[in-house]
Amino acid sequence: MQTELLITGAGAAGIAAALSAWEAGCRDILLVDRREQPGGILPQCLHEGFGLASYGAELTGPDYTDRITERLAQTGVRLALGTEVLAVRGDKTAVLSDRSGLTELCFERLILAAGCRERSIGSLPVAGTRPAGIFTAGQAQEMMNLHGQDVGREVLILGSGDLGLIMARQLVLAGKHVIAVVEQAARHGGMARNYHRCIEAFRIPMIYRATVSALHGRSRLSGVTLRRLDSSAEEYIPCDTLVTALGLIPERELVRGLGDPDWLFLAGNCHRVHELVDSAVAEAEAIGARVGGELAV
Amino acid sequence: MRGFDVVVIGGGLLGCFTARNLCRRRLHIALLEAREDVCTGVSRANTAIVYPGYDHKPGTLKAEMTVRANARFAELCAELDVPFSRCGSLMLSCGEKADAVLREKYNNGLSMAVPGLRLLSGEETRELEPSLTKSVTSALYAPTAGTVNPWELGIAASENAAANGAELLFNTRVLGIRKTAEGYRIETDQEVFACRAVVNCAGLYADKVQEMLFPSAVRIVPDGADYLILDRAADNKPTHIIQYEPEDGGKGFNAVPTVEGSLLLGPSERDNELDFAVSEKGLASVRERAAFVLPGLDLGAVIRSFAAVRPNPRREDGGSIGSFVIENPAPGFWSMIGIKTPGLTCADELGRFAAEKAAAFLNAGPNKRFDPRRSGIKKARGMSWEQRAAAIRSDPDYGEVVCCCEDITKAEVLEAIRRGATTLDAVKRRTGACMGRCQGSRCQQKLLALLARELGVPEDAVTKDGAGSEVLGGGRHAD
Repeated sequence: MQTELLITGAGAAGIAAALSAWEAGCRDILLVDRREQPGGILPQCLHEGFGLASYGAELTGPDYTDRITERLAQTGVRLALGTEVLAVRGDKTAVLSDRSGLTELCFERLILAAGCRERSIGSLPVAGTRPAGIFTAGQAQEMMNLHGQDVGREVLILGSGDLGLIMARQLVLAGKHVIAVVEQAARHGGMARNYHRCIEAFRIPMIYRATVSALHGRSRLSGVTLRRLDSSAEEYIPCDTLVTALGLIPERELVRGLGDPDWLFLAGNCHRVHELVDSAVAEAEAIGARVGGELAV
Repeated sequence: MRGFDVVVIGGGLLGCFTARNLCRRRLHIALLEAREDVCTGVSRANTAIVYPGYDHKPGTLKAEMTVRANARFAELCAELDVPFSRCGSLMLSCGEKADAVLREKYNNGLSMAVPGLRLLSGEETRELEPSLTKSVTSALYAPTAGTVNPWELGIAASENAAANGAELLFNTRVLGIRKTAEGYRIETDQEVFACRAVVNCAGLYADKVQEMLFPSAVRIVPDGADYLILDRAADNKPTHIIQYEPEDGGKGFNAVPTVEGSLLLGPSERDNELDFAVSEKGLASVRERAAFVLPGLDLGAVIRSFAAVRPNPRREDGGSIGSFVIENPAPGFWSMIGIKTPGLTCADELGRFAAEKAAAFLNAGPNKRFDPRRSGIKKARGMSWEQRAAAIRSDPDYGEVVCCCEDITKAEVLEAIRRGATTLDAVKRRTGACMGRCQGSRCQQKLLALLARELGVPEDAVTKDGAGSEVLGGGRHAD
């Protein structure tokens, strides 16, 4: 099997790249995603704030997804969902896996739009036990918004990036007690509007210059040790859930070791972490237009 | 009251291998495990090294067993379909005192006929492992050293024992043991068992189990140790097991390229604690040692830290015991108390040793139907593309990747559940899902849903590792 343009990741960036490559004249595009639905992480982002630049409105993640998938449906871009890209090789071939089998695919250009993964608490030198009840912010968001699952009752949030701030608000709205958002820096790490809308508006306590130094509880989390970074003072905070927003890591494992070949392009959050979907989309559109133009019929 | 010929207490590596080897005889066997799965205690966390055998005093049971076990290890792993990497080890010295220690170990090894040992100069060592510190003055190279995943080995032995007729009873905690005219009566929190012989493999609690009926001359004093795991993508990982023998006589440090492709660093040394809590100082000491021994290693690639507990055997006067202790306080009762390093290497040997004692006592003949072979879960990772395509044709679940970091498919997860996994950790240990760089943030939800569906329980009843560790709803009860 072959395609001129392979795009891995059907989130905001992948879809934007596909749309602009199509508009630039490329007529052989395959857009692949491991999820069963297009949109990447957008469908789990129930809050508003997407697409101000592209659509002049503050849309929710699902609404934004609807807009871009409607546009995608009007093109001839082929969408392969529930499909894992197992390997990308230097001879411009890729191996795809889905329930019908393996496919070896030859391509001319590859746009990697694989987004980010979240840094997990495992990377921090945290002492104590390793109990249940610790989730990354994106994981908690997916569990609550896509699967209707209840992550916990007494929640501490570690890390005040946008995802941490947004999840703090969502947990409060879900009736949970958010004890505080803990941040090691002297100010929050998110956008001003998220801080105002999520933290100030809901009067969620912020604890700056602090971190979680130990986890407690043999089976389920029963509490954490909070350490103040300036005084090294420690206190025990009972909680049954810890949500971590420790930062995003561009997901490029698929092309690790391939160097920087002239057929490979990175778009969106796997290139660099964007604060806004509009900015990731603008980057992906520019790449899509350029690559699509080169491949135009 | 159910009756068995032999009851094995404890489902760690030793219990699993004792049960497996008892199956070689015509015996009715039960293994009692307090937890929900095998290998959740001492066997869950350790350095994962299959030792060559030069460390121990020639002529001791420990030395003999280790050399023999190492020689048989590839065959054992082939029988049980468990990955084993005979990657060889380099024990490093960075000074005269440790040079002398290595020479002594080398001579020890020669007298034990440990194959292929060589003393290398610092230069020769760095030729083999260019990422090592330039401070290396000499190294003891042991080509027969290797690594195996400890719980994978234990699970394999338990599956093989069950396939050969042993009954594995989980969530069954021993509360008391009594002597009867026919043998022993074992009271648990589930039911009462009668048996003719007992093999006590209760790990950290082996002294306490023995003391339910007999005095024990050995006390277990547990100590903890911390480990770090580096992502397989980390730069400058060594290809051999690196063991650093510090000049100050302090605790050694290991870097082990695991069968999964990650790098295991540790252990740290720290105070006695009977829990699996990680120590911050311990982690810092592991990082410090790693940075010294392997200066180019990318310590930013740490994906997990964990703690292990080891059952140090001590005499009543507090003196430490270097040998394996296998007590036989009364006819038909054996206790393996405080078996630590190299317990993983010697698991099958020790199991065989105890099983043969019990079988001789019971005068049990050979079980001609014993089959030593077990098949592992077929892993998509590591298959050729042709094999993988064929696997998907026969089972479309092989086409669906559940854990994208470790490339684990839905077929593997479902098979793990079919084989008895009831918790997230049990699935993780059997498949490798959640062990990669995202530590389950992307796949744990899928595993949870599959467990709930396959076990026929609501999602909020699914646990990480047994009752009280429910993943949803904040947990059912506080600790």
